Amino acid sequence: MLIDHTHRKWFFGSIAGLAVATAAYIPYSLRSPQEARGGSALGLTYGITAFLFMIFVGLLGARKKVPVWRVGRAQSWMRGHLWLGFVSFPLILFHGGFHFGGLLTRALMWLFVFVWVSGILGAALQHFMPRFQTAQLPLETIYEQIDRVRGQLAEEAGQLVEETCSALEGEVSRASERQRAMSASAGTQGGLTVASGLQANQQVSTQLRQFLDDEMLPYLERAGAHAMSLGNEAQAQAMFQRFRVLLPPELHSNLDDLENICEEKRQLDKQSRLHKILHGWLLVHIPLSYALLLLAAVHAVVALKF
Amino acid sequence: MLRRTRTTKKLAKRIDLQYFAHPHPFRTWRFWLSVTIPLFALGWFITQRAQGGQKVYSSGQLSRAHAVFTQQCGLCHVTQAGEFTAHVTDKACLTCHDAPLHHANQAFAPACSTCHVEHKGAVLLQSTSDAACTECHARLRTRDGQPHYVATITSFENKHPEFAALRSGKSDPSGVRLNHYVHLQPNLMGPNNTRVQMTCDDCHRAIDMGTWPYGTETHPVALNDVHVSLRQGNAYMAPPEFTKQCAGCHTLQFDQRFGNEQVPHDKPEVVHAFLLKKFEEYILAHPAAIHEIDPPNRQIPERARIPKAAHNASEWVQFRVDDAEWLLYAKTCKQCHTLTPTTDPLPQIAKSNLTARWMAHAEFDHHAHRMMSCTACHARATDSRETTDVLLPGIQTCRQCHRPQGPAKEAAEGRCYECHQYHDWTEAKPTKGGFTIQQLRGGAKVPVPQG
Repeated sequence: MLIDHTHRKWFFGSIAGLAVATAAYIPYSLRSPQEARGGSALGLTYGITAFLFMIFVGLLGARKKVPVWRVGRAQSWMRGHLWLGFVSFPLILFHGGFHFGGLLTRALMWLFVFVWVSGILGAALQHFMPRFQTAQLPLETIYEQIDRVRGQLAEEAGQLVEETCSALEGEVSRASERQRAMSASAGTQGGLTVASGLQANQQVSTQLRQFLDDEMLPYLERAGAHAMSLGNEAQAQAMFQRFRVLLPPELHSNLDDLENICEEKRQLDKQSRLHKILHGWLLVHIPLSYALLLLAAVHAVVALKF
Repeated sequence: MLRRTRTTKKLAKRIDLQYFAHPHPFRTWRFWLSVTIPLFALGWFITQRAQGGQKVYSSGQLSRAHAVFTQQCGLCHVTQAGEFTAHVTDKACLTCHDAPLHHANQAFAPACSTCHVEHKGAVLLQSTSDAACTECHARLRTRDGQPHYVATITSFENKHPEFAALRSGKSDPSGVRLNHYVHLQPNLMGPNNTRVQMTCDDCHRAIDMGTWPYGTETHPVALNDVHVSLRQGNAYMAPPEFTKQCAGCHTLQFDQRFGNEQVPHDKPEVVHAFLLKKFEEYILAHPAAIHEIDPPNRQIPERARIPKAAHNASEWVQFRVDDAEWLLYAKTCKQCHTLTPTTDPLPQIAKSNLTARWMAHAEFDHHAHRMMSCTACHARATDSRETTDVLLPGIQTCRQCHRPQGPAKEAAEGRCYECHQYHDWTEAKPTKGGFTIQQLRGGAKVPVPQG
């Protein structure tokens, strides 16, 4: 999510709330006979407020699951998630007087540290990466469709190679008997150009098929495959350049398409990598958030008892 | 020339429009992690609860004194019948501890746990925060509305008054004259006409090791007693006693006939009785002495009395006792004591009134400061010439090392509890224990305190 001027209200609201909480905390912690602690009136206020924020923040998942709920705009929920989640951690620190406490509370605090840090990291990634991705990956597609698109690219590459080879082989088949004979006795009776050309077309066709089978299809069909030659743009260019020398100019556009397919595959791989970075933090953030909410509820009950 | 084109139509054809309905590894991972990690957390909690009892709920390590009860939360967190909560009440604390009030007229009494905060790690529970004290002492109110002490103390550094003994108009109330300056001069005449240089610990010690260089008596002190004293700290200097610290130099001879024999260091009546007995015994043994004329005593220049001639033994005893008492009360005793003439022939000697503790409402431990020289704090002692001089170090001396932040700021502890006690332990009553080892250690159920 882009953190822009539309967040201004949330930003200033959160900062103001945090400032008030801090202003109340300083004299409280200095003057309290027991030091700042969760069980005091103010400590409980911080704890309850932060827990309510955490519940709201946790409800974002439910809000996303049921987008038809008429409970505010999704963007507002997202902004609330971002800023209330951000503020809840300092509130919890105030609640515990900056102590991590015993076994359960320590576990909770560490969970919160991971959730909070991963959340901030995620917010930063979500702010910067989509723009970077758009600039860097003009051929990007829907992440979940990358595998499918990769298959389509392989299919497309196969068709293109087949088309190119057919064109090359068609030229060989259209050659006259005399040309074929000359080709067979090339170098003895002259007409070297035609004879060599015919032989070369057949060889290039074979090489192109072999290139498709050995290099392109394995590269296109495998996700990632950065170590392969086609995964490297410079190496790929060199490989296609070799074919460009061998193929007649009218077939160069086919080579361009093949090269473009490889470029698209490289971009899809890059998109896949960036997507993992852009969304991978959620694999930490979301499960730990649920664990945090669960144990926080246990802590609330226990704290009320003791 | 590139023939591949990326029209919207072409791109749209690439996409499976139902893709979101199909499982995807990323979403699948996210779902299962979201299920398993909270379940794992819950499982961890249940396991901890099963293995360590209620310890998992603990908000922190218990203090050193209570660490042994870690497994038995119910000792302090008492659940009353029919109630969900198990908050710590004073009743639970008073089961083991008697905790007398601070003052009879204090405006309110905080709960035990207000000052003694548990679950803060292996700390000393008596190391209460200053805020626990300043909650009242920053704006002191009493039941009778008349604070008898400084009413606005916020910390040792801030608004703590100078020690009471050092405030203006205060003086040492001692009835025994002592000039510290003279006693610390070199080449003083010591015992047996030797020249000595006295030091502070010749007279002032926190631990009595039994021998004093300028005393006449050796007090046998068992080694075990010394060790006990060392362990207990022996915080205070014992008031000097004549026989331990003074008698070696300040002899109490009374008559040349008796050589170095001395009168007891006691009340005038006792001294008088002693002298009567001595002279009666002497005249019985030496009847001819009645008619002897005493030679003038060259060692006592003040002696201007002309010896009276006695006609009989009784008169002789009376005259000699008079002479001896004149010597003692005009010179020997007067050197240290204030004598007041009375209608009685014997003078009245002012009470010594030595101050054992200068700070009645605070505690001090000399043993804890043993690495320092005496004059590091009692700097005025070497120049003090008057008995009335109060040689207690001022609060600024203490503040050089003691600060409220204490060890955290590379200073000695400076919180209120370091010197002051909240509970008036003179009012403490013994408590009667009732727990078994199993009940304390967690092997048995804790009985709910009655009442």
